[in-house]
Order: sequence, then C-alpha cells, then structure tokens
Amino acid sequence: MTATTTSTPAPLFPTFEQVFQGLSGQIGQLRELAPKPKLPDKERVRRAIDVLIEETNADEAVWLESCIHCGQCTNACHYFQATGEAKYAPMRKMELYRRIYQREIGPFRAWYKLTTPKIKLSHLEELQELAYDSCSECGRCTMVCPMGIDTASLVHHLRSALVEAELVPPELATLHQEQKYRRTVFGASGEKFIELVQRIRDHYDMEVPLDKPQADVLVLSSAVDLVGNGNGLLATAKVMNHLGIDWTLCSDAFESANFGLLSGDMALWEKLSAPIVDAAIRLGAKTLVIAECGHAYPALRWNPMVKGGELPFEMMYISEFLGRQAQHGKLKLRPLQGRVTYHDPCKTGRRGGAFEEPRAVLRAMQADVVEMPANKEFNWCCGGGAGIFLLDDATRLRDESFRIKMQQVEQTGAEAVVVSCASCRLNFEAGRVKNRWNKRVESLVELVAQQLDEEMAA
Amino acid sequence: MSLLEFARGPAIHWSLIILTVGILWRLLGVLALTRGADLSRPRDAFGNFKGYRTVFSRSWPAGEFTTATMFQTSVAYVFHLSTLIVVFGVTPHIEFITGLTGWAWPGLPNAVGVGFGVMALGSLLAMILRRLSKPAVYCSNTGDFITWVLVALPLLTGLLAFGHLGARYETLLALHILSVCALFIWFPFSKLMHAFWFVFSRAQSGIVYAHKGVRI
Repeated sequence: MTATTTSTPAPLFPTFEQVFQGLSGQIGQLRELAPKPKLPDKERVRRAIDVLIEETNADEAVWLESCIHCGQCTNACHYFQATGEAKYAPMRKMELYRRIYQREIGPFRAWYKLTTPKIKLSHLEELQELAYDSCSECGRCTMVCPMGIDTASLVHHLRSALVEAELVPPELATLHQEQKYRRTVFGASGEKFIELVQRIRDHYDMEVPLDKPQADVLVLSSAVDLVGNGNGLLATAKVMNHLGIDWTLCSDAFESANFGLLSGDMALWEKLSAPIVDAAIRLGAKTLVIAECGHAYPALRWNPMVKGGELPFEMMYISEFLGRQAQHGKLKLRPLQGRVTYHDPCKTGRRGGAFEEPRAVLRAMQADVVEMPANKEFNWCCGGGAGIFLLDDATRLRDESFRIKMQQVEQTGAEAVVVSCASCRLNFEAGRVKNRWNKRVESLVELVAQQLDEEMAA
Repeated sequence: MSLLEFARGPAIHWSLIILTVGILWRLLGVLALTRGADLSRPRDAFGNFKGYRTVFSRSWPAGEFTTATMFQTSVAYVFHLSTLIVVFGVTPHIEFITGLTGWAWPGLPNAVGVGFGVMALGSLLAMILRRLSKPAVYCSNTGDFITWVLVALPLLTGLLAFGHLGARYETLLALHILSVCALFIWFPFSKLMHAFWFVFSRAQSGIVYAHKGVRI
C-alpha cells in the first residue's frame, strides 16, 4: 500500500497499536471501579421482571412463541460455532425470557404460574453471560431462522432486565455509571475534546471548526478518538476540509458512544441521544455524521425513540457520508496498492443497512477489494461487538470466535482488513496481536485521509 | 359405549373444541398485545413493505446456509408435505372432513396414501434421531419430545389400522382417532402453533430489517 507523500508535520498522535495497548490498560481497571449491587435480591428480580413486562409487545411475544427448537440458529452464531457449547445456542438465550413471558404476559399465564418455578436472582445471574458475553446482537441467527426470529432484539430486552437487576458486567457497568452521572467516557470530557481540537489546529495548522452556527454538517467524534486515537478525528477533519464541506464539531455534543444502548439502559440511551439531536437543531445542521463507532449508528440513526422523520436534518454514518461523496464523484483519492477486504460491522451492516457506501469509498481509491466468503448481510461478527470487546470474562469467547473471522479474511488473500467501527478495529487489533497475524487493520476514514489526492481535488 | 364409539363421539368432538378455542385464545392473547413503535426514519419511504417478502423468502434457506441446513430443511419439507398429503388425500380422512364440513374431493389410491404415510413417519424418525444425536444443537425440552410422540402416533396407528396389523381393525381405528384427539388437544399449547406463528414472525423481522434497508 502506498505511504502518504504529502509533507506533514511529525505525527502528533500514537499509532493505533499503541492506542490499543494503552486502552487495554484502562479497560483492565474498569472492573475495580464497578458499582456493587445495592438493592435487595427480591427487588432486583422484581425490577427485571417488570422491565421485561413493560418492553414486551406483540413483536417480542410472537418471536418468543415461534421457536421450534430446530437448531438452525446454531449454524449462524459465531460463539456457538467456535465453542460447540449448548449454552451458547441463540435459542437457549431466550429460555428465561420465554419463561417470564409465559408466566407474566402469555395467554396461558395462569397455567404457567402454577407449573413453572419462580424466577430467582440466580437465574438472572446465569443469564448475564448469555446476554452480554456471548451475544453481540449481531443478528446473524435471524438470517437462518426458518421462523425469522429476531433474537438480537430479544437479547437487548434481556440486557434491559439485567440493568434493573444490577447485573451489568463490571466493565460496562463502570462506563454506564460514568456516562450516566458525569457524561464522560473514559474521562473524555468536553474540556478534553476542546483541548484535542486545539492541539490538531496548532500542530497541523489546520482549520477544525467548533460550534460553528449554520454549518451544513455536524460531525461527531468518539471516546476512542479522545482517549488515544486522535488520528481518527484528525483524519475526519482532513477529509471534511478536502471535500470543502461546511462542517463543524460541537463542544457539548461530540460523543458518539452510548453506554445506555450497550448496557441495555433504554432511559440512558434516550437521555444521551437528546443533547446531540438538540445540538444539531441548535446549530442548524442539515446532516449529522456519526463517527466510526459502530453502535453509535443504531444509537442515533436507528433510535426508535427519536422521531427521525420530523427532524430538520438527516443522520448518517461516516462511511455512508463518504460513500455518497464518492458516488457523486466528489471524493478524489489516490489509488491504493495491495489487496484489501472489507469487514461489515454488524451494527452498520446487517443491523444498519450501510453496505454499498463503504465499498464505494474503496472503489474511489481503485482498491483491489476481495469480499469475504460471507459478507454484507451474512458477514460473521468479529466477536467484539455490543460492548463485548470490553469484557474480561468474554476473552475466551472473543478469541475463539475471532478465528472464524481470521479464516474468512485468509480466504480473500488480502493484505489488510478495512473496518469502519472503532470497536471492531480494537477487536481485530487484539486478535492480530494475540495470533501474530500478518494482516493490517485499517480504519476506513483514516485510509481515506491517507489517500486524499489534493492535486486532483484542486 | 365401545372404544371406537367413544373415539368417534365425545373424544373427537371435545378435542376439536379444545383445538379451536385453544388456537384462538393463544393467537388473540398474543396478537392483541400492543405493538412498539419505531419512530426512526425508514431508509426509504416504502421500504418497510418489502419486509413482507420474508414470509415467502424464508421458506428456503439463503445460499449462505444451504449446505449447513440441507438435511434439516429437506427432511422437514418431506415430513410437512407428505403429512399434508396424508391428512387431506386419504379417503377416510376426506370422509371425516366431509362429515364435518360437507366439503369433498377425490381421494388418492390407497397405495399412494400408504407411501406418503411411510415417508412422513420415516422423516419424523430421521428428525428425532438427529435431534438425539446432536443435543447441543437442538437444546430439546420435554415439550419437543411430547410433540414428536403425539405427531408420530397418528401416523403409526393410521398405518397399522390401514394394514390391519397388530389388533382388531376397530381397536386400531379407535386408537388412531384417539391419537389424533391427543394431537388436537396438545396442538394449541405446543410448538405446533408455529403453523400460525411463522407468518407473523417472519413478517415482523422482515419489516424490522427492511426499515433499515436490509433484506433478510
């Protein structure tokens, strides 16, 4: 692959490998900071059941009723395929939810109340591994289920129940609490964000608009950028300036990450989305661009609680935004040497529908792209999505399921995997280091910034 | 009252009542629940309607999963189709339905009916053997095995009655009808309700994904 040839100052930020090492250390400390359960056991169980009753509508009821135990979903689940352990079968993850539904909501609840055991805290404790460690809510099992059951949605409701039962895994619980009470992630505050913007401006003598009223495009950042990978924000700024977009960042609405969504706390999910939506309206933006942070896409763009049709702006993922620029011939890039493959993050691909745009970006750099055998809607999850990358207890599951991804990449003969999700990228990086894998892992945005052709654009 | 009279009389009548009321109760109890609203803007204005395609498209696995699911899918199709043919194609069954509804149609030759009955039972055996040999994949529960037994019994007793094998014809016929009664009674409370749920479940997921521009 060609190295950038434009004359730039010495790098301000560490490489992604260094970022990964640093972040790993920080993630390791999260367990110690996790809040301890405060409520009595009975209350935790009652709250969990109540939230499931509240969140179970006809859709969930039909899905829970429909499973015929045909076992097909096991063919699609990377955690089951990697381990072969019965408890990781997607349908198995629904058993407790089904029991609660049958006892509390289902048409034969009187019968089930008499004939099935009461739900205990120990049942919910066992569920923690199934709803968090071993389900990235990737939705691949839905692609094979003959009933079409959307297990990922049901697992998300289980996460909501476990939030109420104070059974969120410690790493996620710490970040959930931090974002809930301090509105920061890994300590990435508004002040730190402004400081980062200023450092980029000073070091690269570059225009990085902040809080600019009436800018066409409001761009978000992510905690990963702020706590280490400043290259992500730098690349975004370079690309936006290159495209001549009237864009801005916002000092009080910059964080894409949403630990309300990841943990399962619907109220926090909504609360964290609101200031971003408000900021876009306040600044008069026509487009809100979500940073390379996979779950931020469903957190904002597909947030079922935000009336998207009534908003005066449209929301899109950075790969979608860049893809549309490429499709309109506005993104001028130098040819990329070497073969690459593209990994569809579950949250932006199968669960988000942004398939063609990132590929359009790669076409714009005339890349030799070879698709993995299972791609787009059928893509295998990397194993680290939905917060699983952060969980120490999920290490074995992550490592074993990542081998499926490695095999997929190996079959393409690519030298590099391009990803457009910080979480996937971190998981790939972890897998790459652990397996001494000879592949490079590239961020789509950073690759675009590297391949910008200033002469052609001029 | 003989066993056959009991089977043809109160047993079949009450089991049909339980079947009908049970199915309606379970369907209404679920479908009458409110539906959650997704307020996000769909990827394209009429995209959600495309989701209904999943009701039909999911009748065969996508290419990605064809190999992995080939046995299960093929055997399931053999079972469902041959059972359907036996239920609606064998002359005694048509006569029973005619008695209830007045509707009639020509029956299959006996040998063909027996052939499909054997295929249905054989495919059912193949499925249970696979289920037993791969416990981690199927996560079977008691309900799965009760369902299997109650679906297999009418096929087995029907074939035995047809062939006059093992006991007096009247006894075998009574056992066949009683096994059907047991199946009717079990139906609304079991996974056999997937005969109805599959339409709703596939449509819902199809719409959820189509909303985001994804075809499943």
